[in-house]
Amino acid sequence: MSSFGFGLITAAVLAIATVGFTMQFAVTNVLNLAYGSIMINSAFVAYYANVHGVTAWASLPFGVVTGAVASWALNRFVFTPFQRRNLAPITVVIVALGVDLIGTFGLQAIVGGSYVSYRQNTGHEYHILGMFLSGLQLIILAICAVVLVTIHWLLRYTRLGKAMRATSANPNLARNSGVKTQFIISTTWLISGALCGLAGVVFAMNNGVFEATSAQLYIVLLLAAMFLGGPGEPYGAMFGAMVIGLSTEVSAAYVNPQYKEVIAFVALLGMLTFRPYGIFGSEKTL
Amino acid sequence: MSVELSKQGQVLTATGLSAGYDGRPIVSGIDIQATPGKVVSIVGPNGSGKSTLLKSLVGVVRVLDGHVKIDDDDVTNLASEEVAKRGVGYVPQIDDVFPPLSVRENLEIGGYLLNRREVPSRIDAVLEFFPRLKGMMTRKAGKLSGGERKMLAMGRVLMLSPSVLVLDEPTANLAPLVATQLLEEYIRGFADHGSTVLLVEQRAKAALRISDWTYVLGGGRVVLAGAPKDLEQNPAFVESFLGGRPAAH
Repeated sequence: MSSFGFGLITAAVLAIATVGFTMQFAVTNVLNLAYGSIMINSAFVAYYANVHGVTAWASLPFGVVTGAVASWALNRFVFTPFQRRNLAPITVVIVALGVDLIGTFGLQAIVGGSYVSYRQNTGHEYHILGMFLSGLQLIILAICAVVLVTIHWLLRYTRLGKAMRATSANPNLARNSGVKTQFIISTTWLISGALCGLAGVVFAMNNGVFEATSAQLYIVLLLAAMFLGGPGEPYGAMFGAMVIGLSTEVSAAYVNPQYKEVIAFVALLGMLTFRPYGIFGSEKTL
Repeated sequence: MSVELSKQGQVLTATGLSAGYDGRPIVSGIDIQATPGKVVSIVGPNGSGKSTLLKSLVGVVRVLDGHVKIDDDDVTNLASEEVAKRGVGYVPQIDDVFPPLSVRENLEIGGYLLNRREVPSRIDAVLEFFPRLKGMMTRKAGKLSGGERKMLAMGRVLMLSPSVLVLDEPTANLAPLVATQLLEEYIRGFADHGSTVLLVEQRAKAALRISDWTYVLGGGRVVLAGAPKDLEQNPAFVESFLGGRPAAH
């Protein structure tokens, strides 16, 4: 049951990250493999705010803003110029991979290779339904719940959210309807980037200790969760994150925990083989 | 028409227009005009550039040469959303709705440029015109039948009360009865109401029946133009598009 508790927290962090990741893919058509590097960079910005006297939770907005601004800038100054040249989508994926490596190892060059941790205590431990969860983990679960409800509200009930879904479904038709799709795409990068930054900070908090390359393999979990739920499907991302988060942690109780990314990778390959458009996606999604 | 769905038309003019992809023209030297209260149709064989021409008029395909005007306003190469703001409603041949969005959400996106408070009353007006959509407001557009989908596509553009309707093969994949109803009841109705209608139609006979003027496209150029009754006397046109001999008058 304790591994289920760990899985729940991993799933919560992954859900926040995957929703942002899949929103980027759905609306902007970019598979942003640099997502993990922005997560960890955001976590470090929040960390430096924390070591300079800001409390750990108050440093969270620093990470959120870093993720939002970095993602927006990445799209504005890197991805958009490549997309305007009408290059094959794989080119943008390779560019994203390059940005990921630059972001991760550039950070390592600046901050060094040592592990760091936020100055905070994890709070009391609570015994809930057979699981032992710390105060910190309960707050992470609460943040995840708030994020998922907010994203649901945004996409279903706001003009912006509907325009985002319309742009994702058919950008030309959205423009014909008067939607300024470039503005919608920029806003999507800001929102999904904010989620990326938020995910980076809670990921680092949940890990306890972290360093510049800590999120390097996280992209495997993100891809597995996204493809499991259906690429470009925010609700699918929530579902995929739950399944991948729980399965990787629960499996760690039976196999070497170092192989948990392998479990995610097996799930990803299985999904791509048998249902490449995911549980919630349709064939047209791809 | 019981509700004010479309506005008094504007004149849509293309002069010396060339347009295409990657700098290569698909259509060239096009001079066409659509005027208020009239249905102007464009017919021609597959690959003659009909859809590319329409897309260039509404800002989807780049105009390489020439001009597009709405009344005296030059809209050449304006972004699609700017063309929509000027009162041009465009229904593409395919991908004419947002499949993952519900019928209501499709209509809401159609009214994106409206003041938020106006949207519900506009939706009511569109539903009065297409009552069949009333019972399917929460259904995803991707689950609609061909005819329902086309009604939704038309309803989406009517949300902004367009003065010019640009329709690309609205009857494609529709049952003959539905196609006839769409052309003769709805599309002709818009023109009779004073709007400008520019229509690309594969079914030449049906297009001629509701048109006031027709352009024939071939190889990316206008090869023939005239009133339907004159075209019906043109042996080359009749043989190519109507499958028979000119009608005796």
